Amino acid sequence: MSATLALTAAMFKRYAIELKRYYFNTFSMMMSFYLIFVLVFYGARSFAGNEAGFGDTLAGIVVGFMVFYIVIYAYGELSWVLMAEASQGTLEQLSMSPLGLGRVLVVRIFAALVYRVGIMLAFLVLMMATTGQWLRLDLVTLLPLLVFTIASAQGLGFVMGGFALVFKQVQATLGILQFAFVGLLAAPIDRLPWLKYLPLSWGNDLIRRAMIDGVSIFAVPAGDLLFLAANGAVYFGLGFLGFKFFERQARERGLLGHY
Amino acid sequence: MAPGQLRFGHHVTFPPTGRRSFTDGQRPIPPLPEPPATHPVSDPIVHIAHLTKVYGRRKKPVTAVDDVSFSVAPGEVVGLLGPNGAGKTTTLKCLCTLIRPTSGKLEIAGEDVVAHPTRALGRIAAVLEGNRNIYWRLSPRENLEFFAGLQGIPARRVKGYIAELLDAFDLTTKANTSARMLSRGMQQKLALACALVKRTDILLLDEPTLGLDVETSVELRGALKRMAQEGSRTILLSSHDMHVVQDVCDRVIIIQHGRVVTDDRVANLLALFRARAYHFQLAERLTEEQEHRISSCFELIRFHHTDHTTEIEVELLRGEQLYQLMDLLRDTGVVVESIDRRDPNLEEIFLAILRRDQ
Repeated sequence: MSATLALTAAMFKRYAIELKRYYFNTFSMMMSFYLIFVLVFYGARSFAGNEAGFGDTLAGIVVGFMVFYIVIYAYGELSWVLMAEASQGTLEQLSMSPLGLGRVLVVRIFAALVYRVGIMLAFLVLMMATTGQWLRLDLVTLLPLLVFTIASAQGLGFVMGGFALVFKQVQATLGILQFAFVGLLAAPIDRLPWLKYLPLSWGNDLIRRAMIDGVSIFAVPAGDLLFLAANGAVYFGLGFLGFKFFERQARERGLLGHY
Repeated sequence: MAPGQLRFGHHVTFPPTGRRSFTDGQRPIPPLPEPPATHPVSDPIVHIAHLTKVYGRRKKPVTAVDDVSFSVAPGEVVGLLGPNGAGKTTTLKCLCTLIRPTSGKLEIAGEDVVAHPTRALGRIAAVLEGNRNIYWRLSPRENLEFFAGLQGIPARRVKGYIAELLDAFDLTTKANTSARMLSRGMQQKLALACALVKRTDILLLDEPTLGLDVETSVELRGALKRMAQEGSRTILLSSHDMHVVQDVCDRVIIIQHGRVVTDDRVANLLALFRARAYHFQLAERLTEEQEHRISSCFELIRFHHTDHTTEIEVELLRGEQLYQLMDLLRDTGVVVESIDRRDPNLEEIFLAILRRDQ
């Protein structure tokens, strides 16, 4: 356990340093958050005016954007990390950690997500302060729903990461599959209930209900929450197993040092 | 060839482990802060038996490593030599779990590398791509802290050790400079320090001086030598740089076409070839026909000419070949002015062994 903590601390520190050293990229990321929030806040206001209930609509749009961004990021980050580490020659070093490559990468993704979401939330607060439009975000409801929704996206991310280990360049596939995510996030579960077995759809549906209808997590039926947890855990687990399969293939074929 | 069994009729005798004496007056490499888990000194700490690696089994299989066996004792410094594509890197990468072997047994401190890779990795650190093994945007200190964390060691526990490593590799003044601003030699030393900060007792180095200029190579060789002298780590290194192997290693294993062709102490090889290498100075120049006649009887012979004389350098594989050569020279009628035993270096020995086994 203390070894994992040491790894986590090292990963968080390295990510923070890289955010600072690759300052142009970090600045671009922050600007993109800022511009998107400007677009969402002022764009939504120009459509809705100052009607009653505008705040809830805006909160729905903001959370929708955040879910989409985090899901896409969680899904693609592992592949980008593996491609970057392979090309700079450090992937073999990560693969030689006695904690296992899988654990190292999970911690790496976790650190990246915490920083990204943290920065995004900071900009959201900044935007709310500058516009004076304070949104009601029920974080106690949102966070658990978000974690399991991300888990299913991360499962797909592991499979893509496995592809990156073996095939090295997977940018094109990553881009194409992002469109599928839009479909999954917009899946009409009320009309086609079987869609809830796919990744993302059920989690996103619960998040939407929480945001638009103001449903607290304590009011969500336990069965629904269990299904979400199971859905996230199954996709995460299957994805991780898929990654381990490709990792073994890469070791079998001596591909870890290639790029 | 069975593990430990040598060509040339020798058996491996593991050198005494523990600290060797310092001779160059430079800063010593800090030893492991804590002794590694107990391992009987008499047992090999690295054991490879019948290692085979075949790529692409279905279409055009390529055998990179073919039935390689050897063992390394705790504290020993062993060099892997061989031409490009001989299988040195594949052997090292199989040991550090980066490549899964097709067959054979690999053990690190008694742990099966294939069955329990993470346990084996707890004992190994490796530098495989020199200065590409570090994060260029991080400073030396940040790199060292990160690699300790990657091994599961909290940064606060190695703070003092990191300072010692920076000092030993002459990086203290650059400790907070981005690694991309360092010279290639410094980056290479940092990569070595990053391997040491993991505090493992086995170190695998693949071409540690590759791509360095002469001066930097000498400097890094000094660092490797000090590391070997320090004695608490077992080192297995592959290199094309014969000076590194001759200076640093106790023992050398030569691999060709994926097979071990020689496994002997460096001192034994030098002594053995010293006894066989002769230099003849002739009073006159040999004709081409005479040279051809002599060279057809000896595999490892070279002729050098001046305007009026000939020098011969020859490796005699058997003692009686000296008489045979003298008879051939007498037949030519050319006077032999002098005969000397030569002191071959490892490079010549390496080439002689490769030619013999081709």
